[in-house]
Amino acid sequence: MHEWSLAEAILEAIIPIVKHESAGRVSEVEIVYGEMMELELDILRFALEELSKGTPLEGSRFMFREEKASFRCNSCGYKWDFEQAHDTLPEDLGIREGTSGDRESPIHFIPDLAQALMRCPSCGSRDFEVESGRGLRIYKVVLEG
Amino acid sequence: MEDPIFDRAKKKLRKVERITLVASGKGGVGKSILAASLALTSANRGYRTGLLDLDIHGPSIPNIFGFNDELVAGKEGLIPPVVNGLKLMSLGLMVGGNPVPLKGESKRSALSFLLAMTEWGDLDHLVIDMPPGTGDETLFCLRALRNMDNAGAIVITTPSSLSRSVVARLIGLLREEGMRIYGLVENMAYIKCCGETLRPFGSIDDDFLSRYGLRILASLPIDLSIEERIKKGRFSELPGDFRYQMEKLLDELVGVG
Ligand SMILES: [Zn+2]
Repeated sequence: MHEWSLAEAILEAIIPIVKHESAGRVSEVEIVYGEMMELELDILRFALEELSKGTPLEGSRFMFREEKASFRCNSCGYKWDFEQAHDTLPEDLGIREGTSGDRESPIHFIPDLAQALMRCPSCGSRDFEVESGRGLRIYKVVLEG
Repeated sequence: MEDPIFDRAKKKLRKVERITLVASGKGGVGKSILAASLALTSANRGYRTGLLDLDIHGPSIPNIFGFNDELVAGKEGLIPPVVNGLKLMSLGLMVGGNPVPLKGESKRSALSFLLAMTEWGDLDHLVIDMPPGTGDETLFCLRALRNMDNAGAIVITTPSSLSRSVVARLIGLLREEGMRIYGLVENMAYIKCCGETLRPFGSIDDDFLSRYGLRILASLPIDLSIEERIKKGRFSELPGDFRYQMEKLLDELVGVG
């Protein structure tokens, strides 16, 4: 549940731009995020709305676009998606969520650990490329006034 | 636009009162043990201390402290477990016994997330166990810490000539990237035997030190009992000589201000 932390990071990245451009407020923000982040959009949106109160982003429209994850093996050339990748994750690894006690995959917190924890579903190699679906970026900010 | 995750990482580092990087030209010179001992000594002295393991390929901090419980996450991210009075964070706590074959962009991004996601709370002192050498990870860390006057590095080496030549490259890189270097720590410097002090690997000569304008902050003995203590889960009981050197080293750092 690190969505709150991400929301803060997103706002902290945008607010200086608004100030720099001497704009009044932000009407629209588009965020592109990798599928591997396993974001809970409801929580992220709620966090953004709550944390933006009293800032130039209050009332802004937050839009999200997911970039699907894809992987390609350097040993055998096999390609696979995130759903299939999940099956190769070791089950004994997890991070416990403090309040609910649920266990979440470390990849939820550090998406790049996919490279360390997954294997090629076809040949078992650890030498593969993460072709897409990793990070998070602010794709568009629409300023007003 | 700056990457919001990296931005957050930098912001978190800026909030810490004092950051000490423990760096080495290559692996196997005792970097992690030094970082762990220094952090422990700092926590024992009452500083709110964190120990961050950025050695991706060989994260050994959890092993040193014998910590292998599950990590817990809070609303804001990963909560560093408190062990022997200090807060630990390491990718090792997330990957179990798996190798960590990260490369290029994945490496930088993983470190960025690790720095951004860790909830240290208020810290007086953060000790960072740096990746060995002058590769991607080291460059990344230096970039994250650029222009922060709360950070400085200790370089650890053994007295042998090979490690001195690798250490020269590291010193060059740190300086070029604007990182302050407090000085050198010489590890495996001597062994006490039959009432005598032997220096089996020789000494770091004064020429080397004056060429780089550095001094030796501490000389650490070859002490086999440390490995023994780690195996028994009793790392926190640092041996006498070692503890004395760590106290001295900490005084030096605090003295720098
Ligand atoms: Zn394959």
